[in-house]
Amino acid sequence: MAKARALDKRRKSIKNIRKITRTMELVASAQFRRAMDRAVSANDYTQRLVRLVQDVAKTGSEISHPLLEERKDPQKGVLLVLTANRGMCGGYNSSILRMAQTRLEEMHGEYKDVLLDISGKRGIAYMKYRGADIRKSFEQFDVKPAFDEVNELAETYLSMYLAGEIDRLEVAYCKFLTLSKQRPVVETLLPLNELKAGVLGENPEAEEKETKGSVPYEFLPSPESILEEVVPNAFKAKLFKCFLDAAVSEQIARRVAMKAATENADSIISSLTTTYNRARQSQITNEIIEVISGASALQ
Amino acid sequence: MSETKTGNNIGRITQVIGSTFDAEFDEDKLPEIYNAVKIDCEKGEAKIHLTGEIQQHLGGGRVRCVALGNTDGLVRGMDCVDTGAPVSVPVGEATLGRVFNLLGEPIDRLGDVKTDVRKPIHQNAPKVVDLSTNTEVFETGIKVIDLLTPFVRGGKAGLFGGAGLGKTVILQELIARIASAHGGASVFAGVGERTREGNDLWLEMKEAKIGNTGRSVIDQTTMVFGQMNEPPGARLRVALSALTMAEYFRDTMGTDVLLFIDNIFRFSQAGSEVSALLGRMPSAVGYQPTLASEMGALQERIASTNRGAITSVQAVYVPADDPTDPAPATAFAQLDAFVYLERAISEKGIYPAVDPLASSSRVLDPQYVGERHYKCARRVQQTLQKYRELQDIIAILGVDELSEEDKLTVHRARRMERFLSQPFLVAEVFTGKPGEITPLEDTIRSFEEIAEGKWDHLPEQAFMYVGSVEQAAEQAERLAAEAKKK
Repeated sequence: MAKARALDKRRKSIKNIRKITRTMELVASAQFRRAMDRAVSANDYTQRLVRLVQDVAKTGSEISHPLLEERKDPQKGVLLVLTANRGMCGGYNSSILRMAQTRLEEMHGEYKDVLLDISGKRGIAYMKYRGADIRKSFEQFDVKPAFDEVNELAETYLSMYLAGEIDRLEVAYCKFLTLSKQRPVVETLLPLNELKAGVLGENPEAEEKETKGSVPYEFLPSPESILEEVVPNAFKAKLFKCFLDAAVSEQIARRVAMKAATENADSIISSLTTTYNRARQSQITNEIIEVISGASALQ
Repeated sequence: MSETKTGNNIGRITQVIGSTFDAEFDEDKLPEIYNAVKIDCEKGEAKIHLTGEIQQHLGGGRVRCVALGNTDGLVRGMDCVDTGAPVSVPVGEATLGRVFNLLGEPIDRLGDVKTDVRKPIHQNAPKVVDLSTNTEVFETGIKVIDLLTPFVRGGKAGLFGGAGLGKTVILQELIARIASAHGGASVFAGVGERTREGNDLWLEMKEAKIGNTGRSVIDQTTMVFGQMNEPPGARLRVALSALTMAEYFRDTMGTDVLLFIDNIFRFSQAGSEVSALLGRMPSAVGYQPTLASEMGALQERIASTNRGAITSVQAVYVPADDPTDPAPATAFAQLDAFVYLERAISEKGIYPAVDPLASSSRVLDPQYVGERHYKCARRVQQTLQKYRELQDIIAILGVDELSEEDKLTVHRARRMERFLSQPFLVAEVFTGKPGEITPLEDTIRSFEEIAEGKWDHLPEQAFMYVGSVEQAAEQAERLAAEAKKK
């Protein structure tokens, strides 16, 4: 009896786990839709910004902006790591953290001072466990990162950068490429030299085609003043895009992980059910044998 | 019939049921229970030489006996002679180097045993006041046993396991390790196991030498066999025959005796077969109602007294991998050290497939093994226990869901699990790796270092089949070199 009962108990607990994973799978599917819509529309915006910078460049004026210049002899670097607040998303957090960890070690070699900012409880817990020195940690960016909050963060980085307190900002996050492909990456946001190269958007080639046919603009009051306005915005948009990508990737990772977990639970349940039935059956058989042989011995 | 003390007390067989038979004697000359009766008869072609043991008095001069040999050709009306005493076996130094059946007849074709001393196989257990209270750990050089289930000198150890998990291999390994380093006598009882294994063991013992003395292990060993092919009565009594010989060494020679029994479950099984034929009502799971008392009577005699010690290692088959089955469960209660072999571990290719959590020992206590050993053993068990608890989560959600501490626990537990494997002396021909005898000190230090994380950087595979942890490091280098070559 002991064996059958223990099996049944275990099966029940796995059924409960399955309920949770199944629900999380459904929730993640729903949230992923919304997050993806936001990421896609943000993508349009950042692409438009890049085009604007390119248009400015076409006027022949030299693109120069403090945010775009690589600094000589950089002293201080910042690594911003975007992880999830919650687990149950497979290798999502650990793959980002692994990459961040290697980059962090490299940065310690390159810069005199490395500051570590982390978003997401998972990352915070990991870095704390590793004994890393965390400068700032955020938990407010969850399923739906708000632009206001990211903006605030971007402003602080901008002012720090312009004041020379930091010389470089890198972001480790999970880049959303397609529905079936997300990759953990470390990207440099400050200085924004990507903007110069025109690869800020997702698909620079397609943009080029579009821009070819476009008319030369006339900038008023001057291309420089427009650049002055556009570049910080581009940085903010880019940072926001990182957060959005991270949110989408997290939901996709969670959906995939929970789907796999539900399937795993299913297979465990079915094998436990077989074992349980067998144990129960053999127990019954045993009891019958005992009763029958007892009875026949009495005859 | 010269052995008979009571003259010619002759009865007649009245009934034959499988390997039991009934005989009728004069009511006033009724043989006692456990007396041996002999049937020597030639009827036409058939020659019957059979010994039986009286089990029940049925009333009216009738007795019921268990046949200790083959009952083929036995018919009603045959003469049946009471020997006036229980079955007895030759004992003493003359038995060393010899192979017997349960009746004490040599079966190795080396001629008669030169001794007059015979002892009946039914004896009382030593008195409580005579029992030795000494507790000393018995080192085997097998890491998992020394660390988690230390054996006791003069104690009883059981190797429990389902079919094909390597009970006999471990037992033979222990013989190779202990008996070859042991000065005193050893007794091996083959109870209801494969005859081939008995033969192999005998040949192996002839070849193996004790230390540097140049003498064969067999010269210090007495072997008694009642294997699978024997009728249940023989399998039921063969353990007692071997035990009687071991007892004599203990009591008269005062030496430490080693007693190996493979397999004590067959003793219970034979008891169950006989019980049904004797007409007893079956008890739980169809076993004989006297299961516990039979086992108790046997096990209580395997004891260490103030005169000498019997250290015994017994293999116990666990039917259907179910340790709650009454036969292994009754054996379990008698033992000092309990080594449980687990199928899930043997499926991982880890041998000896000892379950580090289910196995235990009476002496795994700081009082006997010392604080350091105890703490190390418990730490290993805790780590493995935690790993086992996490296994469901890992199976469903994956390793990534674990917290950092848990990941580290799993990381080390997997290494410990593999490090519990060990190359065996007797398995050298199969594994191609020479057997490892790891001193207890090395074992404890290695596990401490793994638990502390000193060897976290080595790949899991490096921990398979090595002795001390330094060998794991060497193996890791070798593996890396091989991988490079490819």
